[in-house]
Amino acid sequence: MISLCLPATLDSLDELGKYIMAATTEAGLDTKPAYGLRLAVDEIATNIITHGYEEAERAGDIAVSSELTDSSLTIVLEDTGIPFDPLSRTLPGEEELNMPLEERDIGGLGIFLVLKGVDNFSYEFSEGKNRNIFVMNRSGRG
Amino acid sequence: MAFDAQLAMTNSVAKITLIGSLDASSAPRFKEVIEEAAVQSPTKLVLIMNNLDFLASAGLRVLIFAKQKMGAAVDIYVVGSQGPVLGTLEMSGFHHSVYIQETYVDA
Repeated sequence: MISLCLPATLDSLDELGKYIMAATTEAGLDTKPAYGLRLAVDEIATNIITHGYEEAERAGDIAVSSELTDSSLTIVLEDTGIPFDPLSRTLPGEEELNMPLEERDIGGLGIFLVLKGVDNFSYEFSEGKNRNIFVMNRSGRG
Repeated sequence: MAFDAQLAMTNSVAKITLIGSLDASSAPRFKEVIEEAAVQSPTKLVLIMNNLDFLASAGLRVLIFAKQKMGAAVDIYVVGSQGPVLGTLEMSGFHHSVYIQETYVDA
């Protein structure tokens, strides 16, 4: 599949979602894992746009690419916003998840959903670029 | 799919019908409708989600905002949510704080 370069604005999330859905269809993923991947990519892209670019008063792009093999579908988001490792974020624990909404902290849910939605997630920073890498296995998921 | 949120107030019940994709790009619109509902001091918030096909954490945060804005005494009902959207609500523990129903009959 061809890669795509989108402006780092929230308006690009829709186009990004369409790209991911096309990739999951091509990979033959079932509805649930396909949705999990779309959600994970949407969450990370939102973080990149809001924290990596807008809050840092930077303008730029997000590049998305995909690689399909017999065993997996890999999606890579690449950006030049401020370096941020999503895995450094503290995730909500069981106690937090069970708390009444009126007492809950609003942070950390996005990364939690990323890790729940994909088979493997990794982050690297090299040559001035953030790379967020999402991997879905093509079999063995329901 | 484009997002839409429509508010209807009936007998102090705020019913909001959500359609399409609710993520960071559309959450501000949802938040506006929640604020519009909150000023009318509803006793109950009903969210019709049959046609909501995508829900990201930005949308979940608006639900937390709704509960905090309207107060703990205002119960939230999520109606018609299914598939992965319902899965996200449950995975995030929201089913402990909202009433999840398949259908809703106007009072």
